[in-house]
Amino acid sequence: MYYKFSDFTQKLTGSAPLAAYSPQGLRLGVPAESPAMIFATPTKLVSEAQATVEYLGANKVPDFQRLFQASDSIPVHLKRGLPDRLLYRTTMALTLGGALYCLVALYITAQPRNK
Amino acid sequence: MAHQAHAYHMVDPSPWPLTGAISALLMTSGLATWFVYKTTTLLFLGTTLLLLTMFQWWRLIIRESTFQGHHTTPVQKGLRYGMVLFITSEVFFFIGFFWAFYHSSLAPAIELGGLWPPTGITPLDPFEVPLLNTAVPLASGVTVTWAHHSIMEGARKPALQSLTLTVLLGLYFTALQAMEYYEAPFTLADGVYGCTFFVATGFHGLHVIIGTTFSMVCLLPHTHYHFTSNHHFGFDAAAWYWHFVAVVWLFLYISIYWWGS
Repeated sequence: MYYKFSDFTQKLTGSAPLAAYSPQGLRLGVPAESPAMIFATPTKLVSEAQATVEYLGANKVPDFQRLFQASDSIPVHLKRGLPDRLLYRTTMALTLGGALYCLVALYITAQPRNK
Repeated sequence: MAHQAHAYHMVDPSPWPLTGAISALLMTSGLATWFVYKTTTLLFLGTTLLLLTMFQWWRLIIRESTFQGHHTTPVQKGLRYGMVLFITSEVFFFIGFFWAFYHSSLAPAIELGGLWPPTGITPLDPFEVPLLNTAVPLASGVTVTWAHHSIMEGARKPALQSLTLTVLLGLYFTALQAMEYYEAPFTLADGVYGCTFFVATGFHGLHVIIGTTFSMVCLLPHTHYHFTSNHHFGFDAAAWYWHFVAVVWLFLYISIYWWGS
């Protein structure tokens, strides 16, 4: 009897041998590594092929990955430093100020109109 | 990184759900104060806060996924289920408006003249601008599929071009609808015809604007190399939503514009 883990029911269910659960990465005839991620490569002419081709700026994702994975227990939304803090503080100020203003405005609108 | 014995994403606390909730409060009470006192301060404040929340929350998701790698396969599966359930709920939202339309139009009341369109209403010709407005979402469905295949093949330039085309077509549709709204010979206040027409097409138009914005927001990560050929869920979600919006238009066109004229 072969089994697989059904994501939908979150239980073990019977299955065909080919669809059966096999330990992560252990598949017959398939290499253990996950397929290499293909970051987009620009289409290029044969005449202008170079060692590295840039299109609309270089790929900065690895740098960001290093920055955001630094273990310095700063929350993710503040991890970039000053610009994050400024934006967060502005948003929070608007949130709290706005909530107070809203409550005041609702209190005023709830007053009966004098005839 | 986090030392966890499972592949799921235990999200760290962030302030954006709170700011989003407050922005909803400000927008709704802002609408009320605008209707009563004609002041737009609260409404403007609420909209600004909403935009700030959206920007920072989605930036956070990009940081958690692309930069920190939290979106493993089980997490992505959960996100997919979530998006599907959300779109399903939107389908039911529109079913309500179609129900209202068919309820009023299949057995027109005597007050309307016993016929549909009601007496005195000149409906829009379905073979003029509305037909163009049908070709546009169909074309944008093609361009978004083209964009998807380009991303999956790692072809950066075609992906960029087709995604931009999709956004342009979405904007074109909105512009055409806005013009139609302006030129229409009937208004929201024109009985049940005007009501069902404008509420159904109006909410659809709002969803077009949301879908166009979603696709526009996908352009930015794409130019910064965030999408890989087999992991680009943000784009998938945008594409699903866009197809849903196009299908709703097809139903709208056939029911309200064509059959209802």
